[in-house]
Amino acid sequence: MNVVSEFVYPVAGLIGLYAFVSFASLLWEGIDRKLVARMQRRVGPPLIQPFYDFLKMASKETIIPNTANFMFRASPVLALATAIALLAYTPMGFSPILAKKGDVIVFIYLLALISFFKIVGAISSGSPYAKIGAAREATLMVSREPAMMLALFTIMWRLGKLGISKPFSMGVFYVHNIWQVGTPMSMVGAVILLYVFIVWLASEIEAGYFNIPDAEEEIAEGLLVEYSGRYLALLKLTKSLKTYISASLVVAIFFPWGIAGYFGLAGLSADVVNLLFHTLKVFILLFAVMSVFRASTGRLQITKAVNFLWKNVFVAALVGSLLIAMEVIA
Amino acid sequence: MTEKVEYWVKIPFGPIHPGLEEPEKFILTLDGERIINVDVKLGYNLRGIQWIGLRRNYVQIMYLAERMCGICSFSHNHTYTRAVEEAAGIEVPERAEYIRVIVGELERIHSHLLNLGVLAHDIGYDTVLHLTWLAREKVMDTLEAVSGNRVNYSMVTIGGVRRDIDEKRKRIILDAMKYYREVLPQMEDFFLQDPTIEARFRDVAVINRRVAVEQGAVGPTGRGSGLKDDARWSERLGVYPDLGIKPVMPQDVTGERPHGDVFDRAAVRIGEIKQSIELIEHALDQMPDGKIKVFAKDNILVAKLRNLVDGEGIGRYEAPRGELVHYVRGKKGSDKPPRWKPREPTFPNLFAVAKGVIGDQLADFVVAVASIDPCLSCTDRVAVMEDRGRKRVLTERDLIKASIKKTREINPDIRGDPTPVGLGCSR
Repeated sequence: MNVVSEFVYPVAGLIGLYAFVSFASLLWEGIDRKLVARMQRRVGPPLIQPFYDFLKMASKETIIPNTANFMFRASPVLALATAIALLAYTPMGFSPILAKKGDVIVFIYLLALISFFKIVGAISSGSPYAKIGAAREATLMVSREPAMMLALFTIMWRLGKLGISKPFSMGVFYVHNIWQVGTPMSMVGAVILLYVFIVWLASEIEAGYFNIPDAEEEIAEGLLVEYSGRYLALLKLTKSLKTYISASLVVAIFFPWGIAGYFGLAGLSADVVNLLFHTLKVFILLFAVMSVFRASTGRLQITKAVNFLWKNVFVAALVGSLLIAMEVIA
Repeated sequence: MTEKVEYWVKIPFGPIHPGLEEPEKFILTLDGERIINVDVKLGYNLRGIQWIGLRRNYVQIMYLAERMCGICSFSHNHTYTRAVEEAAGIEVPERAEYIRVIVGELERIHSHLLNLGVLAHDIGYDTVLHLTWLAREKVMDTLEAVSGNRVNYSMVTIGGVRRDIDEKRKRIILDAMKYYREVLPQMEDFFLQDPTIEARFRDVAVINRRVAVEQGAVGPTGRGSGLKDDARWSERLGVYPDLGIKPVMPQDVTGERPHGDVFDRAAVRIGEIKQSIELIEHALDQMPDGKIKVFAKDNILVAKLRNLVDGEGIGRYEAPRGELVHYVRGKKGSDKPPRWKPREPTFPNLFAVAKGVIGDQLADFVVAVASIDPCLSCTDRVAVMEDRGRKRVLTERDLIKASIKKTREINPDIRGDPTPVGLGCSR
């Protein structure tokens, strides 16, 4: 077993990715705040405000409520650790570092685990508002994931039919993409699934309609109500990373094209160029799904959001999946 | 019903909460997200204003009444002035009445825009908040140009108004009205057509007509529930009948029968902004020339009121939040009223909405409370505390003592001298 290629390279790559994605996702938060401020005819904070916020929060006193148990302290760390682990399975312009057969399951599992740790941390705090926020987050999570999972597995399965070495891996998107199937029915299905993924992304990053678990005016920031100082900084960083990672998934499925090929690059430099281009695409997607959506809507009640996710989005996922699957089966 | 009790949970909502603009406390009984019961606790914003008022003369109380609340500062001052004028039998010049209408309606525009912004903020729709408050800046600037202040206008005095509206100020006001005629269609678009607003405001916190009558709901809250009542119209107040005042009902704005929900209250506010613009334009048009106040100087006023006021007077006015009543009882030979009692619109409205919100979701609660435009600094004036079985009224001095004690309790190392600076009121 070659220690350098099996162990050192992946770890170095993961650390490098972590540093880059932390920077890019916090920068995106600054861009988002600035853009939304301009849409609301405000001046807005400076672009690097999230970095200032992070440093400030990390240096502030951390207050632990009397009623909290040890999970309150453990869960921000675990959530961030999960997000970092998730980076190894996220397609970011190139095949993920730990791409293996069937790693899509790991990806979905880790993504849900971040929300799970946030919920555990919130209910360990002992605050009634945090418990309401946790209940809302759990309700929203079980409503949004099935549609996304159905859509993702359908696409993976369809791409697997095109002939690849590692089916159900996140690296598939850089071998084949869904638009290559090319038949009219699959095109319509892919567009419907794009809608499903965009709504899923909006609910995953809790923008606009879906800003329900962290509703500031209703339940005082819900899940985060008792967190302060260092732990709050960790949770905010986790949220930024999660935003980037979720958007990366949508970009990789529907817009996977890289530009390194046009410059004739290969190896590491190709990956770096593709990563930067991927980041640009993530920013454009997030501009539409996060900034514009956030500026043009308010939040819904949890019952209406759940109704929407099941009756509209899940049905759309079902229809889109059937359209894509039909021609293979028939 | 009883076997479900074990799932119910009581949570405190307030006194300090990001969704509430002022300290007020509700104890909510929840079944999951559904609200089962609301218990209203008042008295977190007490400053002992009524107690201070008993130690001041008629003119000094005007300043005090103005500072009860930042948003309806004109309404309080105006209503108190009307009460004293009734008790003293002072006839106000007609031009002064017109100027009162103009400033009162400008204040109504600014208060309603503020509330509409707060409503949007409470459902997380911050774009509408920022755009509404941007529009509100214009009326604030106009008020500053007319009266010299953005908040406490000090326009009214007993027996007239303090400042005249000359040609220059008239032009400024007309410019502002032109601006609002342009902006208002956009505002109607936000609040009457937007799907998010419709989803969150329709059939939320429904106060039906019966509850509104029982709890005595007034103002936009009462009118949203279908009570055709407006103190300016039903009392034939001042020159309002000449200007063609009539209560704005939800069906005038939305075209539907009143539902009594948050949407209808917002619609009434939109309609009232429109009505206020018309009233101001008419008033500026019809304003006669003449004196603006009966007594030239305040010291003459104080001396005259000592003999003039005998008996009691009641002032009524439609503040932006609803009908406001001030009661003043005077005694001949004294320049201090032995009794001065305001009654705020928030008090009945708060209990009406506390009834109306039962059965809705927790998410609707903040919007429901904001929809009556609560003004707790107006409402909390006297706190009666239960102290070992006997009740006593807390005065300003007790409150200062209690706050010093509490501060020391929280942080024993605090530096600084707690004795109040300046004379304050005569303790």
